[in-house]
Amino acid sequence: MMMQYFTDLEAGIQGAIRKGNSSPKKLYTLELARLGKRLYSGTDPIAWCGITAPFDLLNAMGVTSCFVEFIGAMLASTGVVGTFIEETDHTGYSSDACSYHRSVSGAAIKGVMPVPEFLIGTTNPCSGGLAVLENLARHFDRELFVLHVPQNDSAGNVRFLAGQMREMVAFASRITGRKLDDDLLRQTVENSNRACGIMKEIFELACHVPSPAASRDLSNFGIVMSLFLGSEQAIAIAEAYRDEFRKRIAAGNYGKSGGKFRLLWIQNRIQFRHGLEKMLEEEYGASIIIDELNDITWDPIDPENPFEGFARRSISIPFNGTIESRINHLKKLAREYRIDGAVNPCNWGCRQGTGARGLIENGLKEIGVPVLNLEVDCVDSRKFTEGQSYTRIEAFMEMLESREPLWQ
Amino acid sequence: MSLNQGVVGFACAYTPLPLIRAAGFAPYRILPNVDCPDQAGHLLHDNLCPHVKRVLDRAMSGMIPDLKGMVFMNSCDSMRRLYDAWKAVKVDMNTVLIDLPSVATDSSVGFFRDELERLSRTLDQWSGVAIDDAALAGSIGLYNRVSALLTSLREKAGRSELKGGSAALQEVYNRASLSTPEEAIQFLEATLMEDTDIMQGEPGVPVYLFGNVLPEPEAFTLFESCGARIISDDLCTGSRLFSAIVIGDGDMLLSLARGILARPSCARTFRAERPGSLGNDVAAAVKNAGARGVIGVTAKFCDPYIARLPGVRESLKRAGIPLLLLEGDCTLRSIGQHKTRIEAFVEMMR
Repeated sequence: MMMQYFTDLEAGIQGAIRKGNSSPKKLYTLELARLGKRLYSGTDPIAWCGITAPFDLLNAMGVTSCFVEFIGAMLASTGVVGTFIEETDHTGYSSDACSYHRSVSGAAIKGVMPVPEFLIGTTNPCSGGLAVLENLARHFDRELFVLHVPQNDSAGNVRFLAGQMREMVAFASRITGRKLDDDLLRQTVENSNRACGIMKEIFELACHVPSPAASRDLSNFGIVMSLFLGSEQAIAIAEAYRDEFRKRIAAGNYGKSGGKFRLLWIQNRIQFRHGLEKMLEEEYGASIIIDELNDITWDPIDPENPFEGFARRSISIPFNGTIESRINHLKKLAREYRIDGAVNPCNWGCRQGTGARGLIENGLKEIGVPVLNLEVDCVDSRKFTEGQSYTRIEAFMEMLESREPLWQ
Repeated sequence: MSLNQGVVGFACAYTPLPLIRAAGFAPYRILPNVDCPDQAGHLLHDNLCPHVKRVLDRAMSGMIPDLKGMVFMNSCDSMRRLYDAWKAVKVDMNTVLIDLPSVATDSSVGFFRDELERLSRTLDQWSGVAIDDAALAGSIGLYNRVSALLTSLREKAGRSELKGGSAALQEVYNRASLSTPEEAIQFLEATLMEDTDIMQGEPGVPVYLFGNVLPEPEAFTLFESCGARIISDDLCTGSRLFSAIVIGDGDMLLSLARGILARPSCARTFRAERPGSLGNDVAAAVKNAGARGVIGVTAKFCDPYIARLPGVRESLKRAGIPLLLLEGDCTLRSIGQHKTRIEAFVEMMR
């Protein structure tokens, strides 16, 4: 089922590109389809991972790696997630848990998740994600390696995580029989740095007033691009976005994105089809120009000594650590992007993100940015109450309309 | 060891109590069993662990002792969020968040040892007195004595000889978690010396209790009124907090780190080389205790347990051990609602 989906997706996008109908989003989705095909090929060695695993490092070892939530998001976007969530719930899993993880568990039970060579759990961002990887390791009877991501980048913490990543390389080598080639690693790191440098340019361009970024342009961008890092394709995708944004700014062509209100989207997007973004743009002239994870929060990694850099990168992901550092990051984004308001989709079941709803709201309020807390399940469309969400958005936008502009 | 540095609060069973005591503080667990207004929802989402929210409610209502500081363990997302919210509520209070590995590999134990050293330095700042090895060794010794006495009490309760049964044992656990080890040793010794209480009538069905937070002694009375006899437990408000620490030669903090990570574990800690082993561990503990069935008690919205319970259910089913799962908000009222289910479960095992 999934192999067919990704094959069709790849063929469809390639067809469109051949007809001259290319766009940065199409290049990005094409790479996503190719990743999906590799995961389901049955030939590539694959690893299921936590969100903050060093994917470029694993890619350099010839291991196609992916965070498990990717599958949950895919099942949601294709509209079939309900049956997989039910499968998990039938085992006695509480419906109060995160739907990303319940759908992934269901996919494994129903045989829709390819069997990995091994699994890499990460303690960042959440306890639930690590628990699911433990369960999947048991289900697939495959070995699990756990990366403990410390709370801050003190020298000792960086050394500890870098050491674990070195152990992880030895672990992966033992299982796959593949060694880490120094030259290939160097090239991978250089590619990662280059892609991240261009992504920084993209994000700086998106700060422009008006912003060249429309609501859907960069949805899930930062988190998914981490899967492509180290490859030439990641550079090509980033360049395509950068060039497109430059072109839009130069031509003064902002389309839907030239709206009146500039919004910040906290955490992840709603993964199934819905009309909220369209409603915001068309009825209120409001565009989501920045997502929380669309940021490069780490310095370029030293190609000659990359492990400490990989460690700093994993530690720097805004979901890690205390809420204080996450709020500071959100404030930074709000200022840089001159944000009028923020939307927090409080994904039911997300303790690390949604759990801090009130603290995030209070934190952004300190700099005058109001937050709309939307009670949703970002994966399970069956729980989506469209009317209620519309009403909340209407009220929020009316409030923004009545306010003096925050940024002069 | 100076005894009058004040009180330091904690909320997680992984808290290194010997270190707090070695700094001259009296460790005091903020249990979620004090009635106070629900206010935590102002800062934390409805979907967050009720244990954490009740602890925060106590802080927001001022229903905590005068604390010199609060030690938090980064044991799960909810505990980390508790730290965040506590800082927002108690702006001027000393707080520290100590990282806790999920697996006990050599490098993780070393990392945790360094975290304990950071805690030691923090406590030094709070007290103005440096913790030395002799003080820490003395403190570990005291807590090991507490652990040994509690083991004896558990055995006494398991033989149905403890006056008040498992409810009395839970009261003792609670009291010990609010006391210095010196005080705990005194009253534990006194409790052990009390006359044995030979129960009259038909003994209850032996049941093993596992899960996370259940500090209400009345809940244990309820279990027993339903015909169950709790002969052993694995709860973070029960036996898990006071496990003995083996002091090796050399680095004391390393021994403490290793000892804490080697304790009977909360679901959040596991062995990567044996994924999903919690279920088998529970089954083995049940057989070892001679229980006929298991009652699992977990706080709602607890991700570490939510994810592992299907595996526990499967393992127990394979071992032919009946299981009753109760999910609640750490209060007696949520357990009380399950009375009929508990009665039916016990009846089934007779």
